[in-house]
Amino acid sequence: MGRVDVTMEVCGMAGDGTIAAGGLLNEAMSAGGFSVLGFDSYPAEIRGFGRCVTRSRVGTERILALVDKTNVLISLDDVQSHSRVPYLAWDAAVFFDSNPPVYVEEEMSLAARVEPGATLFAFPMADLAAAAAGTMRGRNLTALGGFAAAFSVPRDLFIEVIAKKFKAKGSRVLDANIKSFDAGYAYGLEHFSDRLRDTLKPPPGIKTGPEKVMLSGNLAIGRGALDAGLKLYFGYPITPATPIMEYLAARLPEKGGRVVQMEDEISSVGAVLGGFYAGARSMTATSGPGFALMTELITHGVMAEIPAVILNAQRGGPSTGLPTKTEQSDLHAAVFGGPGDSPRIVIAPTDVEECYRHTVMSFQLAEKYQTPVIVLTDFYLDNRVENLPMPQATESEIADANEYPDESVRGAYKRYLMTDSGISPRSIPGTEGFTFSATGLEHVEKGTPNYTEDNHMSMTEKRHRKIAGALEDLPAPVEYSRGGPLDVGVIGWGSTFGAILEAVNIANERGLNVGALKITSIFPFHGGVIRAFMNRCSEVLIPELNYEGQLANLIDHLHHKDVVRLSRATGVPISPSLILKEIETLALAGA
Amino acid sequence: MAGDHVVIIGNGPAANEAAMTLRERAPEFRVTIVGREHVRQYKPHLLPALVAGKITEEDLFVRSIAFYQHAGIKLRLGQEVVDVDFDTRRIILAHKEVLRFDGLIIATGGKPRIPEPLLVFQDVMMTLKTLTDARSWIDKLARVDCVLIVGGDLTSVAFAKTLVSLGKTVKFMVDEHGFWPLHLGDETRQEVARRLASGGMELVPCRKLRGLARLSADEIRVETDCGRYTVGAVGAFFGLVPDVRFLVRSGLYIEKGVIVDENLMTRYDGVYAAGDCAQVYHPTLRDYWVSIGYRNAENLGRIAALNLIGGKVRAETAPESIFHVDGVDIPTSWWAEI
Repeated sequence: MGRVDVTMEVCGMAGDGTIAAGGLLNEAMSAGGFSVLGFDSYPAEIRGFGRCVTRSRVGTERILALVDKTNVLISLDDVQSHSRVPYLAWDAAVFFDSNPPVYVEEEMSLAARVEPGATLFAFPMADLAAAAAGTMRGRNLTALGGFAAAFSVPRDLFIEVIAKKFKAKGSRVLDANIKSFDAGYAYGLEHFSDRLRDTLKPPPGIKTGPEKVMLSGNLAIGRGALDAGLKLYFGYPITPATPIMEYLAARLPEKGGRVVQMEDEISSVGAVLGGFYAGARSMTATSGPGFALMTELITHGVMAEIPAVILNAQRGGPSTGLPTKTEQSDLHAAVFGGPGDSPRIVIAPTDVEECYRHTVMSFQLAEKYQTPVIVLTDFYLDNRVENLPMPQATESEIADANEYPDESVRGAYKRYLMTDSGISPRSIPGTEGFTFSATGLEHVEKGTPNYTEDNHMSMTEKRHRKIAGALEDLPAPVEYSRGGPLDVGVIGWGSTFGAILEAVNIANERGLNVGALKITSIFPFHGGVIRAFMNRCSEVLIPELNYEGQLANLIDHLHHKDVVRLSRATGVPISPSLILKEIETLALAGA
Repeated sequence: MAGDHVVIIGNGPAANEAAMTLRERAPEFRVTIVGREHVRQYKPHLLPALVAGKITEEDLFVRSIAFYQHAGIKLRLGQEVVDVDFDTRRIILAHKEVLRFDGLIIATGGKPRIPEPLLVFQDVMMTLKTLTDARSWIDKLARVDCVLIVGGDLTSVAFAKTLVSLGKTVKFMVDEHGFWPLHLGDETRQEVARRLASGGMELVPCRKLRGLARLSADEIRVETDCGRYTVGAVGAFFGLVPDVRFLVRSGLYIEKGVIVDENLMTRYDGVYAAGDCAQVYHPTLRDYWVSIGYRNAENLGRIAALNLIGGKVRAETAPESIFHVDGVDIPTSWWAEI
């Protein structure tokens, strides 16, 4: 078997077990040794209606992004699946129930809509599940069984992950689910004569390297916070950040920490500042609307020089916007939001592993630079799952990064001591002789309010100097190219970068001379590195998921000519093919 | 009428010719082809060459999918019709979909004929009617060296030669049902047998197949009236019979195939049958006949479509032709009594 690259979808109505089926599919493929990237889409409303879709891309090479076309559709609700038909590859495989409760007219039939190149696998999912397990509820498992048979996925891979998922629910539930799966599997083996032989049978030797786990961006963030020594989490539920709080609510108490659901986002960030003020690593996670409420207190953290870790899981905006859609449109708010000149650190991971590493990193950055650190993710990155070796943080990565005052200054301690770096040693409140004055008013070195012209100027300079100095601890941009002059350079951030890298790789395979630059330090940013990259490029392209081109706005002054913006406000992840098309257009125009 | 929906059941030469004729002569109609196989129309007579590895699957196909899309013909492949209600003009598909039609052409073609005494061995024998069959043969031939061909029909000789070219040992048994629907005289039969033997095949001098037993996945024991053999696979080649079982309770007149008049119309207005599945009244002969062969099927498909849109074209017998069996010429009208 050669290179495998298959995109699969499970689609159903909320309550059909769609997300569960997609999760099991991902786990089984991962257990088979494939690289997996999955992403779920579900309605904003609570259970009961609305479409759920899980998309998974599976391959023998590392999967960087989701692509436009779906090769396999497993339909648990044909009416809901209609919307997926335009995304099917011309030769897709479509699994659907051949015995729905009622006859359907042509207009409502999934089979009537698919293109003729598709292979249809119609089988009585609900009937098989009912006959095998006494209930139709397991028909999502039956559907997976049929899929496994058609694609020659070993049964054991699925049984293993089904057991892992359901064993805690008791043997009755587990048996019912295995029976439901087996019913579909046996049916498929017997009836799917046109099955796609060996297509997803793990090739020998594919399972190499350390054992992989399936992690979502949100789980990686939660795990990273735990490993970094988080003590206090304060939050208010909001999509797509809520799973972080759910995860920590279950796990943080085991480590002696606390999760507190606050009355709103303002109190959440206030409590985070209070926690860090007292010396405990604290964080909150929210999304755009909640972040907007936090901005005043974030600037309080800037002014009072109190650390905070704030995760903004971006979603479609403005306002309540598109709660279950993705967007990268809070960059301006994260970097500039709030009153006054209030520099803060903003970082943005680009994949699930970086969600872990940047969360770990954020605590040290917050402590060392005594400032709010904003971690920018987005719905797509938070909810997508990737299989990867479980990331681990080293001792030095989680060590206390506070710079404490020297004993010699006891009694003469100046909380906002003017230093070259802008970093003033920070005491723990309540320590005798080290009075910690925390105020949102402009202040002098001792912390007492002062509104004089020179003082405000010098204190503002101090705070900016401090944040500019953080560059030495922030990840530098990473370039992916052959080096030298480039026809097109593509700069990206956040969840979009995977699609950028895949597009750039394909462009180079097609003989173009293209490079990519990944930026994870959004503010402050490595202007010199970015400028040097831009200057080697005939054209600079910046794809991002917002309308205004917010990263482009931040860095385009570094280039001698206008950058090309590929700004998309569609609520869905950008595809490599779209970026590739733009790259090819630019390369052709410059040739 | 503009916007009328014509459904064509089947995806062979008759069905496709009917669709093309409709598209050409009645572009205002909505045309849907419903085919049971997952693939678009292909040339079945090239299946032996596919098995031999001389051509690819792509070489089999008659038209691209894009052609149908551009022509505005809806291709619904891998979808099976299980019933037709002619009173309400509704087709029921296996996945419980209701497909409504204004006009209907039944062109389901034929399916491999297994003589009744041999039906008990059906699961042990392989056929070569569809692309799926060909893929199964390709799989099987990767594992077995000896194949028994039983019967004999238009496809079997080409296929047996394919097997010989692949280095397989081929036993050919022209049993009592062989070369149906042609009636070979003893002299012709002997001549055919001699030619087959000279082509590298081992002729099994028996007339009756008495037993087939699967010893393992790739081993079959064969019992005949003149001895026992062990082979890797058994191919059954007894010609085709109309594939109309799904219509037996529909109210259509069905004998062997769908009974139609000389204009290919069934007892229901706007419902026609064409190709190998149609049993056509011949006013001169005053009897019903079934056609065989790709060209006849295309001709009947075209006639059915023309009549569906108001024509009055009679289905005529094709001119006499010669059936070549490895160099032996057998005159036939290409129409056969069933």
